Amino acid sequence: MDFGYHEENEIFRQKIKDFLKENITREFRAEVREMQGKGMGPLTKELILKIGDMGWIGMSWPEEYGGRNADRIDQYIFEEEFVRARVPLNIGNFIEQAPAIMASGSEEQKKYFIPRLVRGEITFALGYSEPSGGTDLASLKTRAVEGHNDYVINGQKTFTSGAETASHIYLMTRTDPDKPKHEGISIFLVPMDTPGITVRPQWTLSGGRTNEVFFDDVKVPKTTMLGNKNDGWYIGSKALNLGRAGAMRYYTYVSLFEETLYFARSNPLGVELMADEIARDKMAELYCEAQVARLFTLRSLSMVRRGIAPPYEISSEKVWGPEFLVKSTEVISQILGPYNQLWEGSDLAPHRGSFPKRYVSAMVSTFGHGSTQVMRDAIARRGLDLPRGPV
Amino acid sequence: MDTLLNEDEALLRDQARAFLTKESPTALVREVESENKDYDPSLWKKTAELGWLGITLPEEYGGTPVPFSHLGLLFEEMGRGIAPIPIHPTMVAALTINKSGTEQQKQSILPAVISGDKILSWAWFERGGDIDLSSVQLEAIVEGDHLVLSGTKLFVDGYHHADQCLVVCRSLADSEGNEGISLVLVDTNSKGLSSDRLPTMAGDIQDAVSFDSVRVPLSNVLGEVHNGGAAAVSLLETAVILNCSMIVGASHKAIEMTFSYAKDREAFGQPIGSFQAIQHMCANMVTWVDGATMLTHEALWKISEGLPATIEIASAKAFCNERCPAALREGNQIHAGIAQIKEYDLQLWYRRSAAWCMRLGTSIQHRRIVAREIGIVPS
Ligand SMILES: Cc1cc2nc3c(=O)[nH]c(=O)nc-3n(C[C@H](O)[C@H](O)[C@H](O)COP(=O)(O)OP(=O)(O)OC[C@H]3O[C@@H](n4cnc5c(N)ncnc54)[C@H](O)[C@@H]3O)c2cc1C
Repeated sequence: MDFGYHEENEIFRQKIKDFLKENITREFRAEVREMQGKGMGPLTKELILKIGDMGWIGMSWPEEYGGRNADRIDQYIFEEEFVRARVPLNIGNFIEQAPAIMASGSEEQKKYFIPRLVRGEITFALGYSEPSGGTDLASLKTRAVEGHNDYVINGQKTFTSGAETASHIYLMTRTDPDKPKHEGISIFLVPMDTPGITVRPQWTLSGGRTNEVFFDDVKVPKTTMLGNKNDGWYIGSKALNLGRAGAMRYYTYVSLFEETLYFARSNPLGVELMADEIARDKMAELYCEAQVARLFTLRSLSMVRRGIAPPYEISSEKVWGPEFLVKSTEVISQILGPYNQLWEGSDLAPHRGSFPKRYVSAMVSTFGHGSTQVMRDAIARRGLDLPRGPV
Repeated sequence: MDTLLNEDEALLRDQARAFLTKESPTALVREVESENKDYDPSLWKKTAELGWLGITLPEEYGGTPVPFSHLGLLFEEMGRGIAPIPIHPTMVAALTINKSGTEQQKQSILPAVISGDKILSWAWFERGGDIDLSSVQLEAIVEGDHLVLSGTKLFVDGYHHADQCLVVCRSLADSEGNEGISLVLVDTNSKGLSSDRLPTMAGDIQDAVSFDSVRVPLSNVLGEVHNGGAAAVSLLETAVILNCSMIVGASHKAIEMTFSYAKDREAFGQPIGSFQAIQHMCANMVTWVDGATMLTHEALWKISEGLPATIEIASAKAFCNERCPAALREGNQIHAGIAQIKEYDLQLWYRRSAAWCMRLGTSIQHRRIVAREIGIVPS
């Protein structure tokens, strides 16, 4: 067992920290706030190009796809520091879509998409969920019908985050309705400006945006299909599993706690609230549980790095982390009391009113990207070898 | 960074597991318990013969100076095998002697411990049962070249068969907290010592030890007299993390027994393990016990590296104390009726690991340490 970072890793972390210190300026932060839901501003574009030049994005990928076979630990450190600094990088694309394209794409697709993803010129929205359901994803109805040279797509996606700014959609469709549900699915890499695509906003409780995306006789060339026809489920689930782990997700789960801890130590109100022994006990409990979230992430990373496909560990991580986040919103709201409900715009609101936003949106992580219910099914069936039940 | 076991660690774990599966069958565990034997001398001897009582101790006394993580993994297996031997009290005292004792103390004690010829215990807790040193009030007065001890220690593990007991006492009358503390080795046949057996839920026996003006030579003090606060804290930390290892080992075994039961046992014409409600309980059980394991392993690694591990140890213990018994309770619910029956083996693990989670500091006390370490303090 080795829970430490080697000196080279630490040097690398320092390099990233220095980079962030130099480049994440007040103006940059202002731009990010300003541009929320509107795409990338000039400073963000410039930053992404700079990061690309540093060779940090996808550095653990093979060389021929723009990576440099770097250690996954360094990749983890890069992701961790960037999410901690709240840089709006499309890390989801780097851990999910890019590996899927590298694993299953045609040579042209790899050559076209990978370098552009690295440079931030291409971003994917994730076109999975449909009105009929997200958990039972394989029941999706959006149809792609094969023609001579193309496919014609009709249907609807829902909760498609980032569709308003993405250049492409990573689109899961049904290509064979007569086969068993998992075996008639294909993935397409579709430019969002293809005629027939309409995007309609859905506003969320925390003030964010996601979208409904409608497909109306959308014609796409056959070359937009990722991998073989009807292989889409298997291509997608492999990448989906990867996307459930890693620094980005871990940090999503623990950032609220870390910020609250900072508040409790440094803000006069926070310090006052910590006079209560029970409040301190609850914070200590959250601390221990946050460490478990971190350690589960490092465990999955260690396994993947050794070439072991984790039979259930990623699912455990995806149960523990999100439920920790939900619990921490509960506990913290009972420590902060009325301050926790103060929304953006009130002077008394701690952390610019971000606490209630986290409170109302925490559960996106427990049902999204594999709900905690089906994750538990996976632990039991794949990890513990319990027999499959009626579902 | 690689949180999984390395080759040496995996080898030790496998060897220990194979040994205990063979040498510590439940029949033996039951026999030691039902006959109030406290421990099995033959298993103790065999463990010593494998060199395991010398793990992490210096070569010159017959030990094997390997990283501390190895000792933790051995204890994990001892917990898994619910081995009826006084390895926890003996090793905790031996490690403390090695760290803080004089050369002469080490020479006279460690080789005998490593060869299995000496059993040790240690006494810290008093009436409050608290892990804060301020709760240590056992009076020790310096009289010439002796310390004279008076008072009572509680929950002393392995005392009955121990040759010596390492006692944490307050040697400066007006001192507070970590000040004025001494650690002293007391022969268990000293005049003025008496003990009362405290039967426990684990089926092992602790002792309440009374000191009635027990005279101990100053040469038996570990390190300097009055200056043992740091050594006492370190003793407790060692005890706590090895206790976590045992809890984690026993818990893994108990949940594995539950998973296989869930596959075999049928209700409504199907294995109960195929019901989603049962599956989700099982998923929680493995997640909680794995979480306890990861926290414990990180602490072991820090100790192996010589890094401060106070917060890691306290976090591991606070988590183990609550989540491991919770996992085992789910295991009992899945077994239902049969889990209440003595003849069925699950209870052997259930009672022991539950009792281990009630010793060496409650989760509330350990979270107090965590809170202090993360910098939230009463204003
Ligand atoms: C803010 C936001 C952003 C999102 N972004 C995206 C995105 O970019 N792209 C995308 O494709 N999707 C996105 N989603 C959708 C998200 O992935 C889905 O909400 C999620 O998959 C759950 O699907 P559902 O909402 O249809 O719930 P359902 O699938 O209807 O599930 C309802 C409940 O039933 C439970 N359930 C289902 N099956 C079982 C079972 N077998 N056993 C036990 N319980 C079960 C679920 O756990 C859940 O609790 C987003 C959602 C939100 C809110």
